[in-house]
Parts: sequence; structure tokens; C-alpha cells
Amino acid sequence: MKRGEFIRLTAGMAVVAPLVNACDGQKRNAAKTIPGKIVGASAAAGHLLRDHAFNPPSEFETKEVVIIGAGVSGLSAARHLVQQGIEDIVVLDLEAHPGGNAASGGNAFSKYPWGAHYVPVPNNNLTDYLAFLEDAKVITGYDQAGLPVYDEFFLCHDPEERLYINGHWQEGLVPNFGLNAVQLAEFKTFFKFINHFKNLKGADGLDAFSIPVDTSSRDESLRALDRVTMKEWMDNQNLSSEYIRWYVDYCTRDDFGTPFDQVSAWAGIHYFASRKGKAANAQHNDVLTWENGNGFLIDELRKLLDGKINTGALATSVKTSANGVKISYLDVASRQLKGLEAKHCIMAVPQFVAARLLSDTGRGKALAGHFHYVPWMVANLTVKELHERSGQPASWDNVIYGSPSLGYVDATHQQVQQRKERRNLTYYLPLTHASPEVARREAYRAEHAFWAEKVLSDLQRVHPDIREQTERIDIMLWGHAMAQPRPGMVHGDVRKTLANSIGNAIHFAHTDLAGVSIFEEGFYQGLNAAKKILQQS
Amino acid sequence: MKNTAGRHSAQWVLLVAVFIIATCGLIYELVAGTLASYLLGDSVTQFSIIIGVYLFSMGIGSYLSRFFKDHLLEWFIRIELLVGLVGGFSAILLFLVFPLAFSFQPVLYALVGVTGILVGIEIPLLLRILKDKVEFAELVSRVFTYDYIGALLASLIFPLIFVPYLGLIRTSLFFGLLNVGVGLYLCRYFAGEVRGVRAIRFGGVLILIAEVAAFIFSEQIMSFSETLAYNDHVVYSTSTPYQRIVITKNRHDLRLYLNNNLQFSSADEYRYHEALVHPAMGASGLARNVLILGGGDGLAAREILKYKSVRNIQLVDLDPVMTKLFTEQDILAEINRHSLKDPRVTVTNADAFIWLKENKKQFDCVIIDFPDPSGFAVGKLYTTAFYRLLQTAMTRNAVAVVQSTSPYVAPKSFWCVNETLKASGFQTIPYHNYVPSFGEWGYIMAYKPNDFHLPVTFPIEKKYISEAVMEQMLQFPDDMLAHGPVEVNKLNNQALVNYFEKEWGKYLEQ
Repeated sequence: MKRGEFIRLTAGMAVVAPLVNACDGQKRNAAKTIPGKIVGASAAAGHLLRDHAFNPPSEFETKEVVIIGAGVSGLSAARHLVQQGIEDIVVLDLEAHPGGNAASGGNAFSKYPWGAHYVPVPNNNLTDYLAFLEDAKVITGYDQAGLPVYDEFFLCHDPEERLYINGHWQEGLVPNFGLNAVQLAEFKTFFKFINHFKNLKGADGLDAFSIPVDTSSRDESLRALDRVTMKEWMDNQNLSSEYIRWYVDYCTRDDFGTPFDQVSAWAGIHYFASRKGKAANAQHNDVLTWENGNGFLIDELRKLLDGKINTGALATSVKTSANGVKISYLDVASRQLKGLEAKHCIMAVPQFVAARLLSDTGRGKALAGHFHYVPWMVANLTVKELHERSGQPASWDNVIYGSPSLGYVDATHQQVQQRKERRNLTYYLPLTHASPEVARREAYRAEHAFWAEKVLSDLQRVHPDIREQTERIDIMLWGHAMAQPRPGMVHGDVRKTLANSIGNAIHFAHTDLAGVSIFEEGFYQGLNAAKKILQQS
Repeated sequence: MKNTAGRHSAQWVLLVAVFIIATCGLIYELVAGTLASYLLGDSVTQFSIIIGVYLFSMGIGSYLSRFFKDHLLEWFIRIELLVGLVGGFSAILLFLVFPLAFSFQPVLYALVGVTGILVGIEIPLLLRILKDKVEFAELVSRVFTYDYIGALLASLIFPLIFVPYLGLIRTSLFFGLLNVGVGLYLCRYFAGEVRGVRAIRFGGVLILIAEVAAFIFSEQIMSFSETLAYNDHVVYSTSTPYQRIVITKNRHDLRLYLNNNLQFSSADEYRYHEALVHPAMGASGLARNVLILGGGDGLAAREILKYKSVRNIQLVDLDPVMTKLFTEQDILAEINRHSLKDPRVTVTNADAFIWLKENKKQFDCVIIDFPDPSGFAVGKLYTTAFYRLLQTAMTRNAVAVVQSTSPYVAPKSFWCVNETLKASGFQTIPYHNYVPSFGEWGYIMAYKPNDFHLPVTFPIEKKYISEAVMEQMLQFPDDMLAHGPVEVNKLNNQALVNYFEKEWGKYLEQ
């Protein structure tokens, strides 16, 4: 395969850009003061594809269902199929470990997340999701009122959140320390709106804001919110102080990787107004979290999938065939292109990857201008005891007001022992300072030392001794972390058109088709794709 | 017989002796005054009383001098040596006596008195020795001139030279040596006129050797005695990865502090540990297997070992330094009666939460003696999550007891622990007692719903607990109640830490 072909084939794929750039990056590896490396998609697969010509697969192994992508959607689909008795399946994933955005790692001190790191207390109408959490023993039972009881070790321990603002760590992330009455009143007004939306139903009788997104009301007055940005909506409500703007911007960057002046107001409000979960021993704003973040849930999703996940498998093409679907993939370990033929294929990958695998230029064009995949940088720091500024002590989520980052989460927070030799801090930075394309290019060009410095100089404000106390920093770059819910994404037509199955053989399941990138959406994307297959068999 | 020239020089030798005696006498007085104000405070009172006692004692000495009829020179030398002995060792004596004696002042004034009396005898004796040799007017003039010049010299060199350069112990020894030196010189000078000179000389040399030795080793004596002088002398302190351990001792008790919080005072810890252990041990019947969480001082173990039914005590304490100290240091192991070396006791150094999570054994009685919930880390050991784990480590009829801070200072905290235990599926019996070094202290017994009986008798060796005391401990007056609902302490709210911080913070502000 020539280099040009390779690029045409895989240029858009999340995995490729980091691979190509990893080669360049290694050459220019500068001396680092704090050890660590840029981790992520194994460079080997990319190198293989680039440097070798492979014969097309001569044999196609048959499977009932092939699932491409072992993220939340793919694993959820596979789990449901196995539960319903369809055992002849395989899940392909390039990475050595399944997980997608819920990937995780670990060291001697704790596991830690590389991406999604918590789920809110679930809404009670999501029975399939609750059943899964029961299987995972996250829900230990139900009280007399029928409310789920959550395992106390998994509910986020106190102290949960703190915000460094006006030279002080305050409790909680909603700014209040050093705010005047007018500024505080704006938050009151804002949460009054949110409360209104939380309880609101559309003319069709459906909840205005629900999870999954597609179960929300399609009332025209609500759809109108998807035509403006969150900032525009806030300006219309005269919510314009620096503090409330920062807060909402922080939240939309946190969940959607999208600044509040780019995110759809509908999606922005959904973030606040769709969480209605009730529990015997938790509130709707409580969260469930684990050392390895949602890596815990990934491990639970794959419990029934032993021997059915094929890692180190880079899909290269998907084509409909007489018997269903033919899938080619590069088996990294044997350095061979292999073939699979299945009755059904679930493409649990982002749409830009799906378009490439299907060689579907129409799909590619439909994506352009609608689907924006934001890059993220995530760092894991192993630290000794840190100097603390005044106020609320070290918490699970530690956010710095005004920082371009989302702060850090302490992966060791859920540990119960008295003394922690080291802590692993997971630092999140959505790269929203430029257009996704520009930010992605910049990100892949930068070296470890650049990222380490970026993290340290940010955290230095709150922990002056961070440089001396940090033993290691590893960096993960997500080239296409999530599709941004910009105006038109949720209630526009593109998303729905692209989600349609091809024939009865190729189905799609990914959070970019859901509109917002949250665990429940991934879970139901996979579940619904699996159900489509089950309806036919 | 000496000639007149000899007599003349003898007169001067004696006058120089007066000068030295006067200087030394005042120095001893100043040493006593300085020490008294250093150790007791209130320097005006101390100096005033000491000067008064000293001068008055000199008066007594002068009066007593009339009873010395013959051999005046002999007596003079003997008294000189005696002043050297008493005065020279006065500082050491006072330093050592301060923390040990029943009362410091009697010793102080006795010492000042004895020195004053001895010095008070010497001047009249000298006047009488010299009365035949010098004209009376001139004699009185000379003796008192030298006496007062000596006093001036002493009062100048003491604060300016001796205290800064030698310190109190060596200053008093130095002047003691001077006294003894004068005595020995006089022995030699008047060898012909003094009977039994060898015996006197022998005594003098002995004192001299003792004082020289004390002078040389004064550093060690000083450091030993000075540390004893602190109200709470720190006998041991160390920082482990987990905490700062400080052990202090004074003449009343030995105290253990962890992170500056008092854990026990040897004077009254029996009240705490008897109240902590015996109700639960009594209620759990003939407990064979007992678990202690925390309690690395081995004091709870000491109480449990009093029961013949006990086969095995599993003690889990975070800090190996702590359990090692209380196993191997005699001064500490004596307090726990070497309980940690008992073959029935297994000491495990582990995090209690982690240990309990991995534990598979069940125990008949569990004693929980953790530090107070003063932070989020230790607060986790008081949560429903922890107590639910605890349940799995208890046999059906087992009883656990939790030290639960002071219901007087922190009633919400205390009752929060109670609510938390109840929310975790336990039935509870809260109680409290008075521990002088702590104040009012609270404990909560917890058991799985069963036919629980409070113990009626306490058939063990004890100083505090009894059936009547047990009954009394169950009574909670109004000022130890929460007055309003309290939250259950959970990992995801840490309600207890918030209560504790507020209540103790307010209490300590007062």
C-alpha cells in the first residue's frame, strides 16, 4: 500500500494522526525534568500500515455479528447480544485495552482514568441501565419506595468538589466566594430557569430534557433552543456577569468539550436539566466514581465477553456483501490483513471513521460542517504531598477559576485508607482555544515537555510546590475526543439520517449520533443497535 | 609558736577567708533566688523571701556561735568546709529536687537557711579568733569591710560573669570549691594549732574531689536535671509516616500525644480503658476472640487480658512505630503490663479499613479506639460503610464498642456516631464517664439485634467500673444531648467531620 493510499484510507481516523506524529515527536524528544511520556494509540499499528503492503484477506471468517469499536457503545451492544443468546460475535478494537473514551490506566498507587471518570446518579426511568448497574453491583438493592441503593464505596466520597477562586478554595463549583449580591443573584436566577426546565414537559407530553436525548420532547418551542448558542440564550436572560459566564462555560467544556459561546443552548441546558435521578442514599447531583473512572464500568460491560473482544485489530474496510457484511482488519500482532463476514455489523465508531471504512463519500460530505470533533489532552500526575492554599481541603474534583483546564480529579479519592503514599491526579484540558482542526494539528506536534509544562504552570497557582512534588506525568491526546453539540446537532436532521442502518446489515452506535457524549447515550446507542439485530433474527 | 610577723600574716589570711566566705555566701543566696524564680516564677517574691530567709538565718548563726566555746579555729575550718559542701551542691540539689520532691519550697528555704546559718556562725567565730590579736575597733572595721566588699563583688560577678559563662550549677560548684580550698589552706596554714587536722583535711579533700567531678560532669547533670524541670518533660518524640508521637512525663503521670491530641494520661487512663472495654466484654459473654482496632498503646489489650475466656486478641493498628514502642520500651510496656508481648495477642500493623475489608474472621467482641474524627481521612472510619464491614467481622452475639469523642463538648458528633451505627444495622447503647485528663467522654456499644444484656458484675481486677457505675454511665443529662436531628455519617457526606470541627472549634475558642 502506498503512502497516499494509506492516508486516503485512514486520514480521518482518530488513531492515525497521533501515530504519524508520534514518529516525528520521538525524534525531537527533549530532555524532561519530570519523567513521563505521551501514551495512547499504539504507534505500531500505524507504522505497520504505513510501511508495509498487505495482501487483501483471502479468507473471510464468518460471524453472526461483528462490532467495530470496543467503547461503551460497542461493548453495550455486544453485552446485550450475548445476554439474548447471540454468542457468535466479535468486537474489534485497535487499542490493546477496550474502553474508548472510558480508557484507564494505573500504577502501584492506584488505577486512574484516561477519559470519562464518573457517571451521575441515573435517572430512574432508565431500566436497562439500572439493571446493568445492578449486575455490576453498583446498585446493591432497592428500598421500600423502590429507589435504588448505591454501593457507598462508589458514591463520590466527601469532600467532593472545590473551586479555587479569589485566592481561596471554596466548597462546590458554583462560584460564591468573593461574589457580590448582584453576581450571586444571577446564579439564583439561572438555577431558577434550570429548575423550570427540569420539570417542564413539551406539548407532546414528553420531558423537555431527557436521557437519552432522543426521548426528549420535540416541542417546537424547545427545539428553538437548539438554534442559538448557550451564550446567546444567557445574554437574552441578562445572565452576563463574568462569574456565571465562567461557570456555564466550564460546565459545557467539561461535558461537551465545547465553549458556551459555541454550544447549543439546548445541549447546554440539557447538561443541567436532564439529571433527575432519585436514590435511597444519594441525591440527583451526586455522582458514582471509581479509581479508574468509567474504566470500572467498561470492565463490568465486558464481563460476559470473554474471548469475544479482539484487541490490536484495526478495521480497514466495511462492505455489504451477498451474505451480509465483509469486514477487513489489520491484525497488529500477526501483521496480516484479515477478513470477517457477518450477517450484521455494528459500527460503534465515530461517524468520520465509519465514512472512511465504508468508503462512503456521501457520508463524509454530510459530516462536514456539522460534526466537529474536539481534541482533548488528559494528563495523569503522580504526586507526593502537595502544599495547599487556604479553604476547603483537597477534594475529588479540584477546579481553578479562570483556567483553560477543567482542573484535576484525584484518582485515589475513593481509597479508604488513612495514608496515601502518592496520589494520582488526572488533569483534563479540552483543546477549545482554536478550531478543532488547528488545535488537533498543534496538539500532535507538541512534545511531552510542552504538555508537562502546560499542566505544571496551571497547577502551580494552587500548589506552588507541584514541580518538586510531581514524580511523573503521562499525557494522553484524544484527537477526536467527542463530537461537539453545536446548534443544529441535536434537533437537526443530519444526525438522524446518518444513524439509519444500511440495509438490514450495517448499524451505527456511537455517542456522536446521540448528540451528547455521555455514558448513558453510549449505553443506549449500543443497546438499540443490538435490538435492531435481535428484531431480525 | 609563731612570731608576731607570723601572727600578723595569719590575721590577713583569716581576713581574706572572710572576704571569700562573704562572696560565696551571697553567691549561694543569688543561686537560690535565681533558681527559685526560674522554676517557680515571680522573681520579686522569690528574691525577697530568699534574702529575708538568708539574712535571718545568718542571725540564727550568729546567735548559735555563742555555743562554740573552744577550738574556734577548728570549728571555723570545719564550717568553712561545710559551707563549701552545702553551697557548692545547692544548685544541683535544687534542680534535682524540683520535679521529684513533694514540695520544692521547704527544700529551697532549708538550703538557704542552712547556708545562712553556717555563714552566720563564721563571722562571730572569726571575730573571737582574732579578738586577742587585733584591737577591737580595728578588728570590727576590717572584718565587716571585707564582708561587705565580698558581697559587692559577688553581686557584680554573679550576673555579669558567672551565670552567662558557667551557668548556675557550675557557678555554685565553683564557689563551693573556693570555700573548700580556703578551708584546706587554713588547715595547712594553721596545721600546728588545729587538732585532728588530718581528719579535717581528709574530709575537705573528699568534698573537693566530689565537687571537681560534679563540675566536670555538670553538662550531663544539667541536661538531666533541666529536662526534669519542665512541667511535662518530653521523654520521647518522633514523626512516623502516619502521625507525630510525643510521650511526656512529669512526676504525676506519663502522657501520650498523637498529633498533639492527648491519647492517655497514665494517672487516669484506667477510667477510660475500663469504661471502654468492660461493658462490651461483659455484655459479649465469654468472649474468646477479641478484635481491637486502633489501641496500639496496648492498654485496651491489658484490660481484655484480664478475662480468662479470651483465647486470642487481634490488634490492628496503623503505625508500627507505635506498637513497637509499647511493646519494647519498658517505661511504656509497664503501663500496659506487657500486654503486647502476651502470646494471646497478635499485633498487625495495617490500615483498619483495608484490613476489615479483607478480613474473613469473626470476633466475639470488638474494641474500636480510633483517634477522634478530626479530618476527612479518619472520618471514614466512622461511616456506615465502615460499620457495615464491621458487622461482617462480628459473631451473632458479638458486641462492639466505639470511642465516640466527648458528648459534653461535641454532643452532635457523639450522637452522629450513634445514628450512624444504627443506620448501619446495629442496636446501640451510648454511655459516658468522666476521665479527668479528657473531661466527659463518650462510648457507644453496638450489637446486632439479639438478646443483649448489660453486664451485672465485673469479675475482674478493676479500679473504676462497677454495676453502680455502669448504671450511672448510661444517664445523659440535657447538656449532653444533640437537641435536634443529626445526620448519619457516610463516605459521601462526612457529616461527622463537619460536626466535630464546629463543636470542638467552638469549645477550644473559649
